[in-house]
Amino acid sequence: MRKPDLDTRIAITGAGIVCSIGRNKEEVWQSIVDARAGIGKLTRFPGETFPTDIAAEVQMERQALSLSNGGLRARRSTRRLSRTDLLAVMAAKEAIEQASANAPLPLERTIVSTGTSTGGLLEGEDYYFRRIVRGRRRAPVSLVLQQPTSGPSDAVARTFNLGGGVVSNATACASAGAAIGMAADYLRSHHADAAIAGGSDALCRLTYSGFNVLQAVDPQPCAPFDASRKGITLGEGAGYLVLERWDDAVARGAAILAELCGYGASCDAHHPTAPAEDGRGAEAAMRGALAEARLTPAEIDYVNAHGTGTTLNDSAETKAIIASLGTGVPVSSSKSYFGHTLGASGAVEAVVSVLALTHQIAPPTLRLRERAADCTLDYIPDTPRALAMQNILSNTFGFGGSNVSLLFRSVS
Amino acid sequence: MTRIPITGIGVVAPGALGVSAFRALLAEGRSAVAEIDRFDTAGLSAHTAALVRDFRPKDFIAPMKMRRMNGLSRLAMAAAKMAIDDCGAAPGTNTGVAIGTAFGPVQTSVEYMQEYVEKGAALAPPQLFAESVANAPGSHIAIELGLRGFNVTITQRESSALAAAMYASSQLAKGTVDAALIGGVEEANEMLFSVLDRVGALDDAQRDGIVIGEGAAVLVAGAGTRAPYGWLSGFGIARDTTATISDWGTGHESVAAAMQAAIDDAGVTIDSIDAIYASANGSRRGDALEVRAIEALFGAREPNVVATKGVFGEYAAGGALQLVAALLGVEHHRHVLVNSLSAGGGIVCAVISRDAE
Repeated sequence: MRKPDLDTRIAITGAGIVCSIGRNKEEVWQSIVDARAGIGKLTRFPGETFPTDIAAEVQMERQALSLSNGGLRARRSTRRLSRTDLLAVMAAKEAIEQASANAPLPLERTIVSTGTSTGGLLEGEDYYFRRIVRGRRRAPVSLVLQQPTSGPSDAVARTFNLGGGVVSNATACASAGAAIGMAADYLRSHHADAAIAGGSDALCRLTYSGFNVLQAVDPQPCAPFDASRKGITLGEGAGYLVLERWDDAVARGAAILAELCGYGASCDAHHPTAPAEDGRGAEAAMRGALAEARLTPAEIDYVNAHGTGTTLNDSAETKAIIASLGTGVPVSSSKSYFGHTLGASGAVEAVVSVLALTHQIAPPTLRLRERAADCTLDYIPDTPRALAMQNILSNTFGFGGSNVSLLFRSVS
Repeated sequence: MTRIPITGIGVVAPGALGVSAFRALLAEGRSAVAEIDRFDTAGLSAHTAALVRDFRPKDFIAPMKMRRMNGLSRLAMAAAKMAIDDCGAAPGTNTGVAIGTAFGPVQTSVEYMQEYVEKGAALAPPQLFAESVANAPGSHIAIELGLRGFNVTITQRESSALAAAMYASSQLAKGTVDAALIGGVEEANEMLFSVLDRVGALDDAQRDGIVIGEGAAVLVAGAGTRAPYGWLSGFGIARDTTATISDWGTGHESVAAAMQAAIDDAGVTIDSIDAIYASANGSRRGDALEVRAIEALFGAREPNVVATKGVFGEYAAGGALQLVAALLGVEHHRHVLVNSLSAGGGIVCAVISRDAE
C-alpha cells in the first residue's frame, strides 16, 4: 500500500463553524475579539433536573438549523437528520462554500471524515422516552434512524453529493482531532483528492447527566487554569475544514487559509475517564505532531489547549506543554468561550486555531482571575493578544486517555 | 509497496471461541443463526440472530476489572488477549489500537437511561456513563496491555472494522507506531434489534433482509513471532452517491471504483485476485449492487465469490469476522479482495495477500 507521504503538504482551503458564540466564522471571530462568551442557563431540556444548570448552547432550534441548510428545498432531506447531523451540515456548508469560491472542489473524489461522540443520541433519548409510554411497536422509529455515530458523515456526504467515501471517528472527545489527522493521511496516500474533515456533537441528556454524576461540571461557567476551576461547561457545535494536497489547491486556484503540517496521536493507557496526571500521553501527542512537521519546540508560537477546566486536565496538560515545548509558549483555552463541545471540540477548536493564524491574534482564556498553583504558563488572560504566529498546536484529549495534537502553520 | 503482516487473531464469534474453532465453523459452513432467547422478540417480525453463546468473560478478565466493563469491552478484551496469545509475543508500548463498531454501546446507553428515569439525572451510575462512549473497548485494551500509540474507534456502519484496519495500516505504513491491534466489536440487543425490525431491515418470514450478528475479533499487526496469516496490502474507499440515508443505492460504478482503488493501492493486477470475500448480507439492494459491480469490474473472469455472513450475520464483530474469514482463506490464494458496502453509501474495500511481496 502507498504510505502517507509526509513531503506532501496539506492545504486548508475552507473552514466552517457553529457553536454557542456564533453561527459562522465571522460571528465566532467577532465574539472572540469582543471577549464575549456564549455560556448561559441550560434551556434544551425543560423539565429535567440536573445538579448544574448552565451550558454553551447553539441558540437554534431544528427548524432554524434546517432552514440554514438550504431552505424549503432541503426540508424533505433534512427531516430525518439528527441535531448533530444538522449542525454538521451547517458547518460543512460554510467550509465547502469557502473552498469552492474560485473553482469547484473535486466532489467525486472528496471524502468526509467526522468525529462525533454522541451522534443522534439526543433523538435516541426522545425515542426511548416515547417507547416507555407507547411501547416498542408504536414509538416512531424515524427518530432513531440517525442515531449511529456514522450519521454526520453520511449526512454531509449526502447533502453535498460527495463520492470519495465516508469515515466516522467515535473516540470520545478526541474524535474530531483524529478525524482531521486521518483525513490528512488519506490525502497524503491519495485515497482521495479532497477531504471535508471535522466534527459535530449536540448536547444530549445522557452526556449532560453523565458529566454531572462524574462531578466534572463546574456549576459556574468554566474557568480553565484558574485556581477556582471546578470542571467543564458542556457545549455543542460543529466545525469542518476542507483539506487538499497543496499543489492541487494551487492548481485549481483556491485560496489557502493555512497549512496542516502535523498530526500526533497517543494513548495514556491509564484510566477510562481520567488523564494521566503526569501528562505523558498529551506530551507524546504534541511531540508526534512536532516530529511530523519536522519542527523544534522553540518554533511553536501558541498552543490552543484542550483546557477543559477540570482540575486534572489543566494540571496534566500544563505539565505536558512544559515537557514538550518549555515554559515560554503562550497558551489559551477557547472552551472558556463556548464550553466543551465534546466529540466536536477538536474541529471547532481547529477552526478557531486557523482563524487565530489568519488574523495573527491569539484568543484569550476568559475568567482567568487567579492562576492555579499547578498552572504556571502564560494563558493569555481576559483579552485577545496580537501575536506573530507561524506555527501553532491545537490539543484534543478524550475519555480513555486518547490524545490528539494538530499542528497548523501560517501561509505567510 | 508496504504490506502489513497479521500475526495473531483472537475471535469471540457466534458459534466459535478462538481462531481454530472459527476456522472449523467456516469449514463446516455451519450457520450460527438461531432463534433469539436473550431478549423477547414477541410482536416483532424477525426472531433470529447470530448470538455469541458459551462465552465466559471471567476466563479472560479479572473480576475487579470486569465490573468496570460493559459487554462490548468484555468481548473486545477477550479477543485482544486471544490475539496476543496467538501471535506469540506481547506488543511493545508503541502500539496503536483501532477498533470498529457499527452501533457501539447502545445497550449501555439504554441501561443508563433506565437509571436516569428511575433514579433521576443526578444519580445515574458514573460507571455506566464511562462505558457509554464507543471507544471504551479500545481504551480498556490499551490500559490492560499498556499500549500508548494511537487509540481510535471507527464507526462506519457495516464497514467499521475494515475502516479501522485501513486507518491502522496507514499509521503503520507511516511509521508512527511499531505495531497495532486492529479489531471490531458488536453486541446484539433488544433496542437495536427492535428498531431494525421496525424499519424492515431484518430477514423475516415475509421478506429477505439481514440477520444481525455480534462478537469481537482482534488482529495483531506488525508484532509477534508467528508466521503471518496474511498481509493487508491495499485499501480503497468510495461512496455511492445514489444511496439513501438508510439503504443501499444503485451506483455500482462507485463500488467497482473502490475495488479497483484497493487493487491499485496493493500494486497487484486484477487477474491475481483469486477470491472476493463479499459484502453480501441478504439485503436486496445491497446484494444486487455488489453483484453488478463485480460483473462490471471482473467481466467474464469472475473470481470465487465467498459470502460469509450467512454463518455469523451482519455487523458481527463490527465487520471484523468477515476480515478474519478472508485472512484464514488467503492461504489458498494469491490475493483476495474484501468488500464492505454500507447502507448510506459508504464503501471500503481491501486486498489481502498471502505473501510478503
